[in-house]
Amino acid sequence: MDDARITALALRARDGDRAAAGEFVAVTQQQVWRLLVHLADASVAEELAQETYERALGSLRRYRGDAPARSWLLSIARRVAADHLRRRARRPVSPATLAEDDRPLGHVSGADPAESVAVRHALAALDPDRREAFVLTQLLGLRYDEAASVAGCPIGTIRSRVARARADLVAALGEHPPSAERPHRSG
Amino acid sequence: MRPVDDQHGMEWDRCDRCREAMSAALDGEAAKDAAAEQAAVDAHLAGCPDCRAWQQDAAHVTAITRRARTGLATGGPDLVARVVDHAPGPRARWRGTAARAGLAAVGVAQATIGLVSLLGAVTHAHAMTDPLMVLGAGIAHATHESAAWNLALGVAFLAGALWSRHLAGLLPALGAFIAVLAVVSGLDLVAGRVDPARVATHLLLVAGFVLGLAVVRTVPRPGPGPTPGARWWRRDERGAPDGHAPAVADRWERESDVA
Repeated sequence: MDDARITALALRARDGDRAAAGEFVAVTQQQVWRLLVHLADASVAEELAQETYERALGSLRRYRGDAPARSWLLSIARRVAADHLRRRARRPVSPATLAEDDRPLGHVSGADPAESVAVRHALAALDPDRREAFVLTQLLGLRYDEAASVAGCPIGTIRSRVARARADLVAALGEHPPSAERPHRSG
Repeated sequence: MRPVDDQHGMEWDRCDRCREAMSAALDGEAAKDAAAEQAAVDAHLAGCPDCRAWQQDAAHVTAITRRARTGLATGGPDLVARVVDHAPGPRARWRGTAARAGLAAVGVAQATIGLVSLLGAVTHAHAMTDPLMVLGAGIAHATHESAAWNLALGVAFLAGALWSRHLAGLLPALGAFIAVLAVVSGLDLVAGRVDPARVATHLLLVAGFVLGLAVVRTVPRPGPGPTPGARWWRRDERGAPDGHAPAVADRWERESDVA
């Protein structure tokens, strides 16, 4: 899972090694999907993850290896999510959108057993920029400089957004002590 | 009562900064002068019970989200089979090599044309009487000039095939050259001012341009360097400084664009 290995896989995939391409997808897909669950929503995360890889692998030939491949990939996922949200905002009343959003919640593949319901709700309620910084650094485990490279902002902005996201979560979860909110979903 | 309000404002601001520092410390992301920052945090915590409580709550929230991170190995679809066909195929490298070889061949042909017309122009020069002077150049000189250009473009193609990293810089100039040449060649052909065979040699330039585009698109350009495709990464790298940029140099100074 380390960055050097992921980057090496991406470079081999770029030079036409399909096995390396498959391994590159295999070792990164959970993080990509996880990020998309939080940046967009769980019902479309799978579709967006597929779009992310189609874009990334399609433009792999222009990847030069001077940024870690994981950050490169996650920044593509971020753009895919932004494009999706923009598309959805443009046609808020179309029947297709309603059908998409009407998927039964029980079938949503993004119901991650590792997160308590309370934490998930608190995360979803965060300001989008703060949520992005928080998910990148806390749930995906990126360093602040890596998160800054993915989000395309200065490192100090990540630091500040993470702190504000934390403060929002403390405020949100403080009313219901989080330890008491995890009865059936410990993981 | 205004001094109290000001005091309140400053107090709130100081708490905010203290909490930002504690948050970074929880992630092991201390600033460069970690000791000074820790001292400032400790001094503030000593007199601020709210921030002491916040520190505990934040650590608790962090522990919960860390537990969520360890669950990362589960969940999510397996996309490998669905997307792997979008990766460059085994022929990707071969295609790049073929494009470079083609470009080199075009370069040799173009340089030969330039050389031949230069020699032809030189041997004919003494016989010419230059009845027409256009913008200070007689036919002999105009021919020399175009021969020099043709030779130079041949050399540029060869060099581009060799050092493909620099090729992208040639393409805008070459594209402009081809566009103008296409228009004036068309006009000259219609007016009967040029031999179709002569115009046909310009097709080599078009071939060189197309092959150059193919090389730029297929051959990876390793190493840092100002190339058109590298622009957005360079911007991101500037956005993630290693501690020398103002955003981090003064850790108390927050970004104004923070939501």
